[in-house]
Amino acid sequence: MVSRPDGLPEGAEEVSIGGFNRYVGPLYRLPDGEGGVKRFAFLAADKHMNSVGSVHGGMLMAFMDVAMSRTSRLVSGAPRCSTVSLSCDFVGPGRLGDLIEARIKSPRRTRTMVFLMGELVAGDRTLLTANGLWKVAGVS
Amino acid sequence: MNSPPPGFAETRLADPFEIYVGPLFHQGEPGARRFAFRVDERHVNMRGILHGGMLMTFADMTLGQAVWDLTENAASVTLNMQTQFLKPAKAGDLVEVTPELVRRTRALLFMRGDFKIGEEIIFTAASVWKLLGVD
Repeated sequence: MVSRPDGLPEGAEEVSIGGFNRYVGPLYRLPDGEGGVKRFAFLAADKHMNSVGSVHGGMLMAFMDVAMSRTSRLVSGAPRCSTVSLSCDFVGPGRLGDLIEARIKSPRRTRTMVFLMGELVAGDRTLLTANGLWKVAGVS
Repeated sequence: MNSPPPGFAETRLADPFEIYVGPLFHQGEPGARRFAFRVDERHVNMRGILHGGMLMTFADMTLGQAVWDLTENAASVTLNMQTQFLKPAKAGDLVEVTPELVRRTRALLFMRGDFKIGEEIIFTAASVWKLLGVD
């Protein structure tokens, strides 16, 4: 993977415009992977850590929530979608300085719902796997 | 805005990420503590709605504090967390939870919590914790 001087892959675009995303960010969208997999990334910094030197689980879940929320909008074409449920398995620890990448797939979507599967990886290490359910706003 | 609500004290936090998104407040005795946080501008999205990531962080913080109390400060990690988002919250809301121990085995604690604004549940979380160094 080609890296820029800031440690991010080529094609990374910041998506943390304001609010909580900006406060815990910056967070980036990366070019789609094979099969239309949606990809996002952030660099693990001091503010993201817990007291034993791992990236805090709350930050990993928050990043997964952002990645799945954006993916639900991208695949549904709807301007707004809201999280209904999210289940995360903490597979391995993230470390300070890691480039943490989210890879999100949508196995199915209906008029009102988006089903999502995702993982967080740092290099060849899997940090977290997740399943999420999103509701398309304004459709019942 | 960031001073403790009536009857609550500020919880001492060690993790840089928790300090960054805090403060956290608590009342009651270890093992049966109630926790609270006040939603502010840092915690909301561009539409002014409390971010799901912040709620999950609050859940991990508070269920973890309860595990800490129940195990007399043993080292543990979150293995899994399942969450449901029932209703939105906004800046100024006080979100409260009393974490519950569902079951404890030698190596695992099964925790859950109903997160409320007033009497209304807005979010639920269930998490499994592993005690480190215990088979």
